[in-house]
Amino acid sequence: MGSLVKSNRSKGAFWATVLSNQQIRGRYYRLILELEPSATETFGSVIPGQFAMLDLTQTPLPPLETIADFLKDAARRQIILRRPFSFSDVSIRQGFDGQVVQLEIMYCVLGPSTVRMTSLAKGDKINLLGPLGNGFQLQPSKELAILIAGGMGSPPLIHLASVLKSRFTGMKVMVFAGAKSRDNLPFTIRTDGRTGLILEEFQQLTVNDCYVATDDGSAGFKGYATSCLEEWLSRNPWKAEKTILYACGPEIMLAAAARLAQKHNMDCQVSMERIMACGIGVCQSCTIEHKTGVEGQTEYRLCCQDGPVFDAKDVVFGGED
Amino acid sequence: MGQTVDMGIDFAGLKLANPVFTASGTCGYADELTDFMDINALGGFITKSITLLPRKGNPTPRIVETDSGMLNAIGLANIGLERFIVEKVPIIQRLKTAVFVNVAGQTIDDYVAVTERLSEVKGIAGFELNISCPNVKQGGIAFGIDPVVVEQITRKVKAVCGSKPLMVKLTPTVTDIAATAKAAVNGGADALSLVNTFPAMAIDIEARKPVLYNRSGGLSGPAIKPVAVYLVSRVYQEVGRPNNIPILGMGGIRTASDAVEFLIAGAAAIAVGTATFTDPSCAMKIVEGIRQFCLNHSIRQVSELTGSLR
Repeated sequence: MGSLVKSNRSKGAFWATVLSNQQIRGRYYRLILELEPSATETFGSVIPGQFAMLDLTQTPLPPLETIADFLKDAARRQIILRRPFSFSDVSIRQGFDGQVVQLEIMYCVLGPSTVRMTSLAKGDKINLLGPLGNGFQLQPSKELAILIAGGMGSPPLIHLASVLKSRFTGMKVMVFAGAKSRDNLPFTIRTDGRTGLILEEFQQLTVNDCYVATDDGSAGFKGYATSCLEEWLSRNPWKAEKTILYACGPEIMLAAAARLAQKHNMDCQVSMERIMACGIGVCQSCTIEHKTGVEGQTEYRLCCQDGPVFDAKDVVFGGED
Repeated sequence: MGQTVDMGIDFAGLKLANPVFTASGTCGYADELTDFMDINALGGFITKSITLLPRKGNPTPRIVETDSGMLNAIGLANIGLERFIVEKVPIIQRLKTAVFVNVAGQTIDDYVAVTERLSEVKGIAGFELNISCPNVKQGGIAFGIDPVVVEQITRKVKAVCGSKPLMVKLTPTVTDIAATAKAAVNGGADALSLVNTFPAMAIDIEARKPVLYNRSGGLSGPAIKPVAVYLVSRVYQEVGRPNNIPILGMGGIRTASDAVEFLIAGAAAIAVGTATFTDPSCAMKIVEGIRQFCLNHSIRQVSELTGSLR
């Protein structure tokens, strides 16, 4: 376990008010929350990749007839645990009682909690714990940041792209967004006659390039995002020591990103995902197999507390099936 | 006006500030919950299980949520006795609350060794003997289901506890819990804690495989509460009251009403477990809720509630 350095108050339980909750497309939604003023100090310095545990146990189900058939059984389950969500944007605004933090959370409706989330409406209050975990490490010396977003792994990378573009004006930021199919791209998609698909969420941030890859070829490159990147790397000039990969998505994709980084001798940070009960390091459920530095030796670290972002070369990836 | 409630209790020879504990495995080793609550506001705190040697625990998935509950199969992952002493005990020594160390092992000698080593360590109030973990192949529940073994291990560990009280944590998965409770008391237990989780399984119907890597896990949360209340009531009637042995009741407690139910059933104190995962300050709120219940019912001493079932 990493040594736990206690700041005065690095995280806490806070109330958030729903500002909006809108469908992006299909099963993908965007929830915008405003935090109570007492959260400004702790949430004001959130790093992309950090997350919060949302308490949705008191959030009502939408009417049963509006729930998709494949979710009807799951929706009826009584939930007791919070759910982890990263942020696609964090901003500070002037509120009535001083500065307040606004969080943007993107979610995919796929279980009993996210079904409940769809019923959240402007003015509703929910409780959250955060900010939790360690985010992506910013590396100002890099000239090229390559963001690899797999499916619902994109939200923290949208936040990261925003931070990189605003803080490091000389840094080129490229995105490779992958999904199973066009339907599984969690973005506002626009088709542009000249350049093809545009993902609004990244386009707005003026990222330098954004490539789309789908497993079935229904949008953009046919194949994995990492294959699309590999092709780009083979055709374009870039310097390994000046390039960093940031990846978030399915573990199998993170493993591919890690292999690619190793092959080309690039830095690579991956944001991992595990089922969590608490998110604050007490339940011990979210272990990641982590190299100790001694050849062949590994130990378990906690995704919630030691991650979710890890250096790719330290992680022993699983999730092959 | 001016009415106050004495929230203090006598528990296995200790004076505790109130009857609310946090349960082993749900509150870390010492100060992990500090950002969310004042640990010193608790009557008691029970550490994660400590074993002689460090344990990595099981591969993931280690937990799965189920209807009104969750399964866990952590596999007693912990930093081991020596690191616990070096890294965690100094933090524990700064706490005012009564800290019980949950002791686990694969053999009776393991339990004895851990307890003996900690018996003289100041700042540790007592021990909780974990003979009811459902997620390990050796030790754990295997010891807890056989009254003969329960009595034997309790006696051997009690002999090395020094002046610290020994609480034995019982498994609910026995035909007659009074028999294992009685065995623990015969072995010298100063208190009983119940219940541990129930062995259970969740299946991924698409893969037709268990969700948990360990295949099965321990069920906790509100789903088990009525069963736990019943078992506490039985153990109180048949073992606790006749032998004057206090019970730490637990199983699905998440509100003060739940806690009061356990007290009425016969618990001298209660522990909050899974609910802490959802609300890390839950135990503190329960302390206040119990106090409010007492005020509303003109109860001057919280201990009056224990075993007050009509």
